[in-house]
Amino acid sequence: MKVKVFCLLAVFVFLLTACAPKSTEPEVVAEVDAMCMGAASGDEISMLYQWSGQEEERLNQILRPLVDTCGIVIKPESTRDQAVLDTRVTAGNPPDIAFWNVTQLNQYKDSLKAMDELGATKEAYIAGAIDPGVIDGRWIGLPVKSDIKTIIWYSPKNFEAAGYMVPTTWEELETLVEKMVADGKVPWSMGMESGDATGWTGSDFLQDILLVQQGPEYVMNIINGSVAYDDAGVKAAYELYGKWAADPKYTVGGAEGTLSTNFNDAILKVFSDPPEAYMVKQSGFAGGTITTQYPDFVFGEDYDFFVIPGAKGLQGGSDWMMAFSDKPAVKALVSYLSSPEGGAAWAKASFDLSPNKGAAGNYTDVSLIKKAEAFYSAEGFTPDIGDTIPGGFGSAEWTAIVNFLNGENLEDALSKAAGVQAEALGK
Amino acid sequence: MASRPVPKIMKQGKFAPWFYLAPALILMFFFIVYPMFNTIGLSFRDSNGEGSAATLCKEEQACWGVFENYRYALTGEIDKTSISAAWKSFWISSFGNTIKWIFLMVSGTVIIGLLFAKLVDGIKHEGLAKAILFMPMAISFVGAGVIWKFVYNYGTQRVQIGILNAIITALGGEPVSFLTATGLNTIALVVVGTWMWTGFCMTILSSSLKSVPEEILEAARVDGANEWHVFTRIIIPIIMPTIIVVITTMVINVLKQFDIVYVMTGGNFHTDVIANRMYTEMYINYNTGRGTAIAVILIMAVLPFIYINIKRFMAQEEMR
Repeated sequence: MKVKVFCLLAVFVFLLTACAPKSTEPEVVAEVDAMCMGAASGDEISMLYQWSGQEEERLNQILRPLVDTCGIVIKPESTRDQAVLDTRVTAGNPPDIAFWNVTQLNQYKDSLKAMDELGATKEAYIAGAIDPGVIDGRWIGLPVKSDIKTIIWYSPKNFEAAGYMVPTTWEELETLVEKMVADGKVPWSMGMESGDATGWTGSDFLQDILLVQQGPEYVMNIINGSVAYDDAGVKAAYELYGKWAADPKYTVGGAEGTLSTNFNDAILKVFSDPPEAYMVKQSGFAGGTITTQYPDFVFGEDYDFFVIPGAKGLQGGSDWMMAFSDKPAVKALVSYLSSPEGGAAWAKASFDLSPNKGAAGNYTDVSLIKKAEAFYSAEGFTPDIGDTIPGGFGSAEWTAIVNFLNGENLEDALSKAAGVQAEALGK
Repeated sequence: MASRPVPKIMKQGKFAPWFYLAPALILMFFFIVYPMFNTIGLSFRDSNGEGSAATLCKEEQACWGVFENYRYALTGEIDKTSISAAWKSFWISSFGNTIKWIFLMVSGTVIIGLLFAKLVDGIKHEGLAKAILFMPMAISFVGAGVIWKFVYNYGTQRVQIGILNAIITALGGEPVSFLTATGLNTIALVVVGTWMWTGFCMTILSSSLKSVPEEILEAARVDGANEWHVFTRIIIPIIMPTIIVVITTMVINVLKQFDIVYVMTGGNFHTDVIANRMYTEMYINYNTGRGTAIAVILIMAVLPFIYINIKRFMAQEEMR
């Protein structure tokens, strides 16, 4: 009998050591148990996310330790169509795990499992990172892939050639813009066309102006409804934005150019030869757009970014992981991703930033290291206004921006959006 | 013919026909009838499909009780400050745009289709000419939208990659932002729809042109009618039933028009149409009540044309 048990154990340990050859035997069993949370080999997790190609490879690289150790089988489905997720959740057939936006946390709050019950710990995240994922007191979303939005991309070579310096205060930025215009150069490339989501580039820009002119508290007050969207502060931000985004002296192509140029094309206009513009305000992903078009470009020489000077409380967006199931394999996934190892794996995969503390210091990509610096030293974060207010405010905000640039009176455009804001927040 | 007794095996009982129809009826019930009634039910409920729509009403604001979603669907886009503002905003609302689509696209496809069918009738390369006009039908709507987005592309500097603006600038003009200029943009989108559907109308009208008896046309010509008279006074009245079927089919098509608008402008710049607005409410604003109310209005708008088509079809069956 003893011999039999010993044989079984030996075989078991042998199998496990085959998976993780570096560790010593007894530790392996404990580690595997801790990591797999009782998930058996062959357990499946169905997943829905928007990533494909290289992004999907990076995710697989991050999840590989979990898959290899526990034998969990990932059943992924990649789509950019939000209606797919919505239909499946409404029909009672959701995936076990979805990676989507913060809006969906609010939308599906009743079907989502609480993260602390799945084995995640709040302490694993940098301050404030998980706040948008706490809805009605329940923590239901794991911020996995973060990006900073409050940055401006430029070409150091072009700046040098024209004798411009990176501004360190908002006043310097405004002076620089005016100086470029006086030199007969176009400072901004602001193209925002994005199909049925046209306008989001503008709403990001406007929120950054609000963060500079009014501060993060004001933005949070718009989100909770105590400041109406047609308040004087919002109007002032729109006026400055309109001055830049609708005039061909300030932006490529004037209002028509802003409205009909695709946001990706707008990024590239700053790096064309000769450049059509000198700066583009865009989230962290712009670096990928630039290097896809110009693979030889070197970060810091050919392209670089600076954090918008004077912005208090950066805009940071995250992709959120949400769980519709609490089976052991899902628990294993949640606890792995929220562990220091999961954070480190995320950073090493160069899959944007991770708010997991374990990610710090593990980035390898130069531009990510610079982004991480801004990310970890930020005074705080404000969520996207449009994403956070429920009930159609997001698209109302875009409509206001698009119609304002297309010639509608500012008061009319803002009062319609303010109406939707009031309705959505029950004011 | 003397009547002979029908063999028993050829006779059907009362239930046998239903038995044969059952698979189709069951499928129709689950995929058409049930969703339709469910949609109607949801249109009287709130944004989650839970409470009654009447609970959405706000004090001191217009309210239609349980029809609240319909109030939003019908009047939400209208600027109610003055009559002239309401009139102006109606014509750039999704309803006004859909009406523009119906008039421009249905008349465009039917007239061009009919003229083309008549002009190529009997010429040497008739098949080839018709095939070319029919070709866009083989492209998906989304594909056509992407192609035409390039055609209308507005370049911000020296190079115009959109063919229309390349021609305009080559001739010394200023580039035009076709898709953002309100008024012009809906027409630009209708052109895409017309480009796609003219071939369809042409094919059907061409086949009915060929069924017009040659003797009648000969008789008219002998009596001294010129070709224009033959076409307007004889051919068109004879093929009128077909023209009506084509018109009603096209109206239904246009009412459902979604893809071109969604792909090319996303309903922005005042180009929204009913079907795209339904999608926006449903899947961007997640408001089931409003989305389904718009869907029901769309069904109501389509029903009369389906009725005309069915009546026409039954009349034809009877003539056989």
